[in-house]
This record gives sequence, C-alpha cells and structure tokens, in this order.
Amino acid sequence: MRRLFVFLVLVMALTLIAQVSIPREETVYIAGALWGPATTWNLYAPQSTWGTDQFLFIPAFQYDLGRDAWIPFIAEKYEFLDDKTLRIYIRPEAKWSDGQPIKAEDFVYALELSKKLGLGPGVGWDNYIEHVKAVDTRVVEFKARADALNYYQFLSYSLGAQPMPKHVYAKVEAQIKDWINDNPAEQVVSGPYKLYFYDPNIVIYQRIDNWWGKDIFGLPRPKYIAHVIYKDNPSASLAVERADVDWAGLFIPSVWELWEKRNLPIGTWYKQKPYYLPDGVGFVYTNNTKPGLSDPAVRKAIAHAIPYDEMLVKAYFGYGSQAHPSLVIDLFEPNKQYINYELAKKTWGTSDGRVPLDLEKAKKILDEAGYKTGKDGIRVGPDGKKLGTYTISVPYGWTDWMMMCEMIAKNLKSIGIDVVTEFPDYSVWADRMTKGTFDLIISWSVGPSFDHPFNIYRFVLDKRLSAPVGEVTWAGDWERYENDEITQLLDQAVSTLDPEVRKNAYFRIQEIVYRDMPSIPAFFTAHWYEFSTKYWINWPSQDAPFWFRPSPWHADTLPTLFGISSKNNPQPIPKWIETTDKGGFGIPTSKVFADLQSAAK
Amino acid sequence: MGTGSQTLTGSENKMTLKPMFKFLAKRFIFLLITYIVATTIVFILPRAIPGNPLAQILSNLSRIAQANPEAIRAVEKALMKEFNVDKPIFVQYSNFIVKALSGDLGTSITYYPRKVIDLIVPVIPWTLLLLLPATLVAWILGNTLGAIAAYRRNSWIDKGVLTSSLIVSQIPYYWLGMIFIFLFGVRLGWLPVQGAYSQGTIPSLSWNFFIDAFKHYLMPFASIVISAMGGWAIGMRVMVVYELGSDYALFSEYLGMKDKRIFKYAFRNSLLPQITGLALSLGGVLGGALITEIVFNYPGTGFLLFKSLTTLDYPMIQGIFVILIASIYLANFIVDFLYALIDPRIRLGQGE
Repeated sequence: MRRLFVFLVLVMALTLIAQVSIPREETVYIAGALWGPATTWNLYAPQSTWGTDQFLFIPAFQYDLGRDAWIPFIAEKYEFLDDKTLRIYIRPEAKWSDGQPIKAEDFVYALELSKKLGLGPGVGWDNYIEHVKAVDTRVVEFKARADALNYYQFLSYSLGAQPMPKHVYAKVEAQIKDWINDNPAEQVVSGPYKLYFYDPNIVIYQRIDNWWGKDIFGLPRPKYIAHVIYKDNPSASLAVERADVDWAGLFIPSVWELWEKRNLPIGTWYKQKPYYLPDGVGFVYTNNTKPGLSDPAVRKAIAHAIPYDEMLVKAYFGYGSQAHPSLVIDLFEPNKQYINYELAKKTWGTSDGRVPLDLEKAKKILDEAGYKTGKDGIRVGPDGKKLGTYTISVPYGWTDWMMMCEMIAKNLKSIGIDVVTEFPDYSVWADRMTKGTFDLIISWSVGPSFDHPFNIYRFVLDKRLSAPVGEVTWAGDWERYENDEITQLLDQAVSTLDPEVRKNAYFRIQEIVYRDMPSIPAFFTAHWYEFSTKYWINWPSQDAPFWFRPSPWHADTLPTLFGISSKNNPQPIPKWIETTDKGGFGIPTSKVFADLQSAAK
Repeated sequence: MGTGSQTLTGSENKMTLKPMFKFLAKRFIFLLITYIVATTIVFILPRAIPGNPLAQILSNLSRIAQANPEAIRAVEKALMKEFNVDKPIFVQYSNFIVKALSGDLGTSITYYPRKVIDLIVPVIPWTLLLLLPATLVAWILGNTLGAIAAYRRNSWIDKGVLTSSLIVSQIPYYWLGMIFIFLFGVRLGWLPVQGAYSQGTIPSLSWNFFIDAFKHYLMPFASIVISAMGGWAIGMRVMVVYELGSDYALFSEYLGMKDKRIFKYAFRNSLLPQITGLALSLGGVLGGALITEIVFNYPGTGFLLFKSLTTLDYPMIQGIFVILIASIYLANFIVDFLYALIDPRIRLGQGE
C-alpha cells in the first residue's frame, strides 16, 4: 500500500515536470489571420494554412510595396539576357531546413508541378512564361512568352517564384493533393520558421535557429509565433485588449479609444485618421446588363449621389478615404504618376479630381438623359421603363458595409432611383456577384501591388475575365463591362518597356472610365493591422515605417518579424530592408525595368 | 416443487424473450429506414440553399490572397473537378451513399484537403467532455429539484424552485455565459475568459495541464448546467404532481400507504419520459453547444457545424449529421432496449 502511494507520488511529480508550454516573452501571439481549423502546410492546395505562404516558403525576391523594390531573398541577383529572358542566381548559402542546398531544379519543379495540378505556388505562370529551366544548379532561366507579352506578370512570376524541395515532394507527388505535411520533424522548408504544434485551438510555429539566412538577414526576432483560433471577431478583439494578442489584423470599431480613452499599449499604423494603411479599393459595382443601370448617365448620377465622406465616417469609423475615379490608389506616392490629374479635375470639377457628392448635379444628369420624375418620385426613362426597384446588397453581418448600403439607398431614392437594401447570406451574395445577377453591390477589387494600376484596370474592366450572366466568374469584371479598346490598351501597357507609352495607355483608359463609369470606385479599404507593445516593440508604423504590408495575414508580411524587438531586448531594424541606395538589399522596380530596357538594346 | 418452478421460469423466459426480440427487431428496421430518410434529407437540404460551396475558398483567394485571375481560374477548375459539383445531383448522391456506407465521409471543401473525419475527431473529445457531464449533472440536479418541489408542493421550496427554474430556463446560454465572463473573468479575475486551456500551453498528460483545463472548463460547464437544469426541474415537477393525482396514487393513499412510498412510485413513473428526454439530449450532444463554444472560444463540433453550414461545405455538413443522426439513433435504440427491460408492458408484448 505504502509502495503504491510512493509510486503514485512519483508519477505525479514526474508528470508535473512534463508540463510543456512556450515562453510568453519569446512568443508573438496573433489574431485575425486564421478563423477555422488548419488545412494543410502544403502549398499545392487551394488554401494552405496561414503561415505556410507567409513564413515557411520564401520567394527568390521579396516585393517591398512601400519602396517599390525587390529584396533578394533566396536569390542573390538577377540578369537579363535580352528583353524576354531573365536569369536568377541562387545564393550559395541557401539551404532547405534538412540541410540540402536549394537548387535551380527546385524552382523548375515547383512551377512545373503547379502547371500540372492547376494548383500551387505560381499557378498560371505558363500563361506568360514560355519556359523555366535550370541552366546549372544555381541558375534558373525564365523566358517570357512573345505571344502573350506582359512584363508585369513575367517579372512577378519569375522574381517572386517560390522553390519547393524536389527531393521531398517528388516522393509524395502521387498523393500531393491530399498531403497535409503536418509532421514538424518531416517538414522541409526554405523560410525561417516551421510548424511546432497544432490542434483545434492553436497553430504554433517555431523559429529555425540555424536558418541558412541568419548571417545574411539575421534571424526574425520571435522564437515562436502562435495563432489562437478565435471563433469570432469580438473574442479576438477582447484578446487584443487584454494583451493576450501582440499582433492582429482585425476590424475593431472605434480602435482609437483603446489608446486615447483606455490607455492600453495598443497601436495601429497611424495614430490619427485613417489609422490604417489602404488595402484596396471598395467599389459600388453597377450591373451593366440591367436596364437603366446599363446607361452611363445613370451610373454617373449614382457616383454623384454617394455620400462618400459621411458614410466613411459614420459606417467605417473613418478607416478609409474616398477613392479616386481613375481607380488608381493615389495614397502611395509612386502611383500618382499614373493619374492624369488635369483630366480628372476638368471632368469632375474638384481640386484632386475626386467625384463630389452633389445631388443637384446627379438630378441634372438624369434630367438631361431624359429620365422624368413620375408621381411616386421615381424616374422613368425615355423607353418608358422605371429606374428601379433595384437592390443594393452586401453579406449579412458585414455591419460597416450594411450601413453604407442604407446611406447610399437613401440618397439614390432622393434623386429618383428606387433602391432598396438587401442583406443575404454570404454564399448567396457571392453567387449573385460572380454570376452577374445583382443590381448594385459593394464589394472589394484589388489592392496596391507591383503591377498597379494595371491590376485594377484589368480586374474591373477586362472583359476577358468576365463570363456570361448566370455563369460564375471569380476572376473579375463582375459588372460585365465590355470594351475592346480597354483590352487593347491593357495589352499595350504591359507589353511595352517605354514608360511614356504605358502612361499614355493608362491616361486613355481614364478617359474611357470617366465617359462610361462602368462601376464606381467608392473608398479605400483598410489594411487591418494592430499591435500591442506590452511584450514586443518597434512595430512598423507611421513612426517606424520599415515595412508596409504589416498585417499578419498578408503574404508579404515576413520582414515585419525581422524588425520588431522583444521589449527587454531592443534591437535595431535591419539594414537590408532598405533599398540599395540606402545601403540595403532592395532593388527598385525602376532599376529592374531600366535593366530590362538596356538588355533589349 | 423444485423442478416445477424451474419449468415455470424457463417458459416465462421464453415468453418474455420472444416479444422483446420482435419489438427490438421492429425498432431496428424502423431506425434503419428513418436513418436512410434522414441522410437523404441531409444530402438534399444544404443543396437547396442557393449559393456555391466553392465561394468561400475562391473569395479568400480573390479578397485576401489577391491572387492573379489566372490562378483563381485554375483553382476553380481544379476544385470543380475534385468535388464533382458540376456532376448531376444523383451521381453526387450515389457517391455520397456508397462512400458513407464504407465509412468514408469525404473531403471538406472549405478546409480542403483535410478529410471530414480528421476535422471532426479532434474536437469530439472536447464536446463530449463538456456536454456529457453537463447534461447528466443538469438532468440529475433538475430532476431532483423538480421531484422535491412536487413532493413539498406549495411550500416555499416549491415556489423557490419553480420560479427560479422558470427564470433560469428562459435565460439564453450565451447571455449567462457572457455574465459569467464579465463577473468571474473580467471583474473578479478568478477564472480564464476564453479557450480550453491557457494559450501557450501544449496539451500533455500532466497535473498542471489538467488543473489549467479544469479552470477553463468551469464556466462553460456551469453555464450549460444552470440553463439546462430549469427545464428538467419544471418537467419533473409537473410529471410528479400529475402522477400523485392519478388513480393509483389516490388508491394507495386511501389504503393508508405512507407518503414516502407513494412518492417513490410516482417518482419512478415520472422518470420514464425523463429518461427518454435524457437519451435524446445525450444523443444530440455530438452536435455541440454552438453558442457556448463561441462565447467561451471553446473547441467543439458546434462551431464546426456552424462554419460548414455558413460556407455550404456539403461534405462536412453531411459528415457531421451522419455522425449526429447515428448517435441519436443509437441513444434511442438503447433507450428502447432499456424500456423493454424496465417497462413490463413492453416486455410482455402488450406494447403492440
């Protein structure tokens, strides 16, 4: 009996030691990037678990949005043989986490497999690239397709290519679509983190302390990064307030109250409005196939009737500002060169060319187009058809956008367009959006990126991305706008190396957009990003703007972790993050294009 | 005498076993048919909701990952092929039935390429550990309180139990949960406010982990017990009061039987429907407690079901319901079996 007792005590004591936990001060806790069970740590899936793309597999060159530059990660340099052939040179130090060198064949393998599966890193590359081949073990060659020349796509597919460990993946290739890759001991990665633990509550990554790049880039500061899987936004926000979370990408109503009223050590990018960096353009999409809405005059009247400022303050907490009618995100300095401000000012009559809220003007446009107000206050077109009833809809539960819909509907009624709000379930709403059966919706488009504004012109205006009404298209042109001149101009803009030709193509597109107003660019959406300085400091922000895609869910977020510091051990922000002229690694895009141009000669 | 009594018991056994077997066999066939009907409904219903199960995954690609149009198109094509969503509905149906019978619940769409079973299994222990004890404790406490209240009808105990049960049973789970969080978590700081264990802890077989998990367990557990208890108490009270007013109770009373003994009879008879109720709620336990899971950020099947319903993840919805229906039916079947043992009317074949 006594022996048993002693034994039990011993077991208890032993299990007590077996308690495992990760140290709080060495861990960055995250919220807002993962809202359900983990899927897979294999990029050959439509949706890999958050972290796989961000921290486990890094590209040849990392794009830096704020400086419009390319940081050589796995590659050390590039070289253009001519204006269609690019070679990238892999760093001799670059190794997989199992010690094998990263080879050119790993790049080739990764892209060929994506092509074969129709899924995976760089999928779709073959639309723009003729071939990828290994010149020798350390040199990869990409050749652009002459019949579909698009320099932006060519460069982003090749410079941004992510290699995959062929020696591991070739063995599981037959079942790669079902492969979860969730055994930390067997995970082979190129980035500085790999999986440590996961269950239905949490996903934890651990730093690889002998990561191959540590002598070049240093190590990212947190030893662990952990994402608790919160079930809804309020519980995640509560965790941010309690400093259980250090790094978040959440929509938090009245976020400024956290530091202004409650003195919590929490911050966002800006201390004042708009608090967040822009993430993309929110549109009021107008279905170009619906009677009434198919008339550019009606769409222009709608553009003048949207209460931009009021709805952004009341519904969006001031987290965004009105978008520019050119569709270009002009909050980033390099983008301004693509806007024909003269034309915008002349067309819209405001100092920066934004569309003013002007109900009288809207009414006048409708009057001139022959829409007469009926007895019920709703206008009737020259063809005898009423303007409405139309619906304006967003998914139920998207409270900020729901409120915007109410405000827009009210204003449109006042100019004689009958609009009611409707808030269906998300999948129903998405179905209408992609099938082109909606009337008016608020929805997202694309964000700032290397190929901006080409990406947004293409997404919103290119009929080649569209599909007949009733058929699903997720690729773009949800409002079903058709214009052959636009597609020609888009092709021209991306197949030229002459900046003037490109700019003029964009300017011509703006003329067409102002004439047709296919849909209405309404506001800049916010790049959700909050941080707590209780355990970690030096977060990228207005005061320390070292990285411009700082949201934990963003694919380009990794450098954020190289710049922050533990509160007890402040470290400088690494130099390599800067562009070459400031002593860093980043190669400006303008330099890349200049190199291309000189290779053409 | 000895042989005579043996024969008697033997024949009685035969007599009791045959109708019981018949009864159980009939129940079993009935269950099988309803099971097929139920799974068919589970197959049809989510597909009747307008919307596209691929919407979630593709919109994430478009909105969050900002993938290239080419990439989105390629993924869409690959997924269509993978999930046969472009195939006729009866092909999908026969696929589902054939696979479900062989134990293959398929692959989740939203969490592709995870297998439905692999997603459900890790959360089942949490749901069972939370809801089985909570349901049992609520049942025992509620029935005891209800019976006592009926026994001491119109006393202060009765009034107290009745009014508080009426109030408590009308309080929504989540509201009670939020009050708990505010009171014990935020104000008093006694208990953790969210999760199944402290963040940063790796689940392991250690005392610290058990203690930690227990602390996280208390509030969700208590909120379920308290809000479920009231219903049982009210039901039991009504039942016992009814039984006490029935002929046999009155007759026993006129015979001069002790109050306690009459109460015992009434209590036993009142328990039968409560057992059915318990079995049904135990069977439904696998459905999880969605609101509790969300409020306390507790892992469980409820949230998984909720997510799959909102994203129209057909295989996942089907998988969870197949398991759920099976467990409810199993519980039902066990109750039928118990009834057959307990209730002489069924045992002796008079239930037909």
